[in-house]
Amino acid sequence: MNPKFSVRDFSLVLSLVAIWAFFAITSPQYLSARNLSALSVELAITATLALGMLLVILPGHIDLSVGSGVGLVGGIAAVLVFNRGWPAILAFLPAIAVALLVWLAQGTLIVRQRIPAFIITLGGLLILKGVFWLVIDTHTVPVAPGGRPNLFSLLTTYYVPPLASCVLIALVLLALVVVTLRARKRRASMGFETDDAELAFLKLFVTGQGLLLFVLSVNQFRGIPLPVLALGLVALVIQIITRHTPFGRHLYAIGGNEEAAFVSGVPVQRVVIGAYTLLGGIVAITGLLQTAYAGAATTTVGDSMELDAIAACVIGGTSLRGGRGTVLGVIFGALIMASLLNGMTLLAVSPELKFIARGAVLTLAVWMDVKLAKR
Amino acid sequence: MPALLEARAITKRFPGVTALRDVSFDLRPGEIHALCGENGAGKSTLIKLLSGLHPHGSYEGELHLEGRLAEFSSIADAQRHGIAVIYQELALVPELTIGENLFLGCEPRRGLMIDWEKLYTDSRAVLARVGLGLSAETLVGRLGVGQQQLIEIAKALSKETRILILDEPTAALAEREVETLLELLRGLRAHGIACIYISHKLDEVFAVADRITVLRDGATISTHPTAGTSKDNVIRDMVGREIKDLFPRVSHRPGQVLLQVDRLTVAPAGGAQDQLHDVTFQVRAGEVLGIGGLMGAGRTELLMHIFGAWGVRRRGTVTLGGQPLDHPDPVRALAAGLALVSEDRKRYGLVLERDIGFNLSLSSITRLRRGLLVDEETEVRSNQQFFASLRVKAPSLETTVGTLSGGNQQKVVIGKALMTNPRVVFLDEPTRGIDVGAKLEVYELVNRLTAEGKAVVLVSSELPELMGMSDRILMLHEGAVGGEFARDQATPEKLLAAAMGRLHAAA
Repeated sequence: MNPKFSVRDFSLVLSLVAIWAFFAITSPQYLSARNLSALSVELAITATLALGMLLVILPGHIDLSVGSGVGLVGGIAAVLVFNRGWPAILAFLPAIAVALLVWLAQGTLIVRQRIPAFIITLGGLLILKGVFWLVIDTHTVPVAPGGRPNLFSLLTTYYVPPLASCVLIALVLLALVVVTLRARKRRASMGFETDDAELAFLKLFVTGQGLLLFVLSVNQFRGIPLPVLALGLVALVIQIITRHTPFGRHLYAIGGNEEAAFVSGVPVQRVVIGAYTLLGGIVAITGLLQTAYAGAATTTVGDSMELDAIAACVIGGTSLRGGRGTVLGVIFGALIMASLLNGMTLLAVSPELKFIARGAVLTLAVWMDVKLAKR
Repeated sequence: MPALLEARAITKRFPGVTALRDVSFDLRPGEIHALCGENGAGKSTLIKLLSGLHPHGSYEGELHLEGRLAEFSSIADAQRHGIAVIYQELALVPELTIGENLFLGCEPRRGLMIDWEKLYTDSRAVLARVGLGLSAETLVGRLGVGQQQLIEIAKALSKETRILILDEPTAALAEREVETLLELLRGLRAHGIACIYISHKLDEVFAVADRITVLRDGATISTHPTAGTSKDNVIRDMVGREIKDLFPRVSHRPGQVLLQVDRLTVAPAGGAQDQLHDVTFQVRAGEVLGIGGLMGAGRTELLMHIFGAWGVRRRGTVTLGGQPLDHPDPVRALAAGLALVSEDRKRYGLVLERDIGFNLSLSSITRLRRGLLVDEETEVRSNQQFFASLRVKAPSLETTVGTLSGGNQQKVVIGKALMTNPRVVFLDEPTRGIDVGAKLEVYELVNRLTAEGKAVVLVSSELPELMGMSDRILMLHEGAVGGEFARDQATPEKLLAAAMGRLHAAA
């Protein structure tokens, strides 16, 4: 499990640089502080959902219903806040509960009735979308009544002040250094190979540069947007779950060879239901963020987000057959998708061309994966 | 006589391993040449080279076909030169007919359409060559493994094959089918078709081969005419040491009953017909119970059911260490102290794309916890312990399991089972498809387990192994107990009679 820097990683970085270079040249605002801040919010939302998707793709399943779920969760909260006048924090609770229950139910149907996830969640996509439209009565329901900011609208309009942002990033970097050093020591003491010191330093250095660049540019606007913090937390939790818990091992084992996992004493059904329920929680988080970002629950919130999430996973090196995929890869995949979409929006590319570009990138990523996997 | 196919000083390197070192091998026209060696000795690599799977340029040394330098670029290229490989895993489409399979990809055509008439007439001729009196319109899925094997050979022959390479062709065949196959090979030899025959079963090798080449650790050890060598010699060349006693069973005084199975009757999930009937047996601490029977007698099903991975119980009870194990699933069985090493290690044993450590600790990972997280130091220490004690031959715990040889993969599966610290261990065909040296290590392991007071249930289709390693032997016949024997009462005749349900008729 010692990740080596591969041709694949290299081409990912290269394509990201190419995307940024292209949009930087064609649209002067692309690299402005304001837009980078917006891009980081869009990345945070896409990546959060994609990390949830990773949990069900690892054991070899899929979920097409998350986009509709995102809309529904935001719709429930918005209706409670705007139409019923509930305080935002109270409105979140039923919205989150609905998501957890719906995904618990979907996971249960998939494993207990042995219906393919593709079918169950395709049904979910349609049903949840219908329920969503019923909930908002196909109207536009703002997240903040009278335009006065509330907790709901603050989800994507609050920024950690610049000074605090700097401190926060410094702490994150420090934590990274400590964790890296400890992991190296542990690996060495257990007799495994470690990266040589220079490479390890280089990795940390590049990461540090990236973080620094990020905080300096968002600080020129208003500081670190709240959704980025949310992504940081979700990523940390998923990283720990997938890498350091028995549950995570089980996810990889089921995706790698379900029958062997079962005979090895992996509680396959419970693990898969657990993965879907966790995904439900993440759909809830994403739903609140995305609806807040849109400013209102409208019929199009969440549209085709399931595809962006799956695309981010695949671009980031996750195998759709299960058993392979990492948190870092998925975040990187989401960064590529978000950069592309954001740039196209700035250039006012027509929706039809946007669809074509998204599809092309996804296809290209899979093709590259197949090509490189043969080596 | 000039060689038909000759490998000269072949060296093949993979990252980190040299699979073949300066190997030479020659095949004469119209001869059956057996290739023997332990798993990992380099047989498969040599075959892949001869058949174009490792193309020219990926190895050092030269291949010569009829005296001319041969540079195969692909499997298709080697096939055009008349070389065909029949693999262990069959490559037929069960939903298609025999004829469709025979001409898959090269269907005779009339214009744009398939010429069905010609396809089936030609099929009949091809089938006749391998002595199969079947209609070419039979679905392949309806055939037994042995017949499918013959179809594979027929398919190769239809493509003007001059050199036939068979990789463990009899691993899944019944005795009669083996005889048919060997007879066919002799017939083909008479028609000038040369054959490279790879098998672990020395009886077959000596029955059919003209010459025997032994590989060990990627090098050619010896090539002898069959008449001028003996099984002992071949085994010695394969292992590199004398094997005095192939079955080093050390008996211990059995302790208390650990596993008690009473009148077990089981049907497959969703099936109406019971497949196990009234099976009763017990196993004591420190004892090896051997379970034998013909193919389909229900041996694997019995183990898998008790372990909770197969079937629905109609009647009967299972008690493990005094506790009932009535609604088993693998999680519960493992918790109760039962571990299973499945006969099909690739399907039920391993996550091939992960590393050795991941696989070794898979069954124990929920116990290797500190709080919610995996205690990685304890995990690695435990992995290292089994990695060393089972003598897995691999560079490190982080080696991908899929790259290991069969014997080493089997050791990882066994290690995974033992790490759960079971009281009763089910070993289902633990030595199938692994080499002599690794077999010995498995047998020694069985001794070690029983010396520690564990109970072992050993399922095997090889009578010598059953008789050599068991303290008691239970023979199954069509899902029921056909007879039970103490070690000193068992003779091959009695065991076979019990397996065929004729014990009492014979007595």
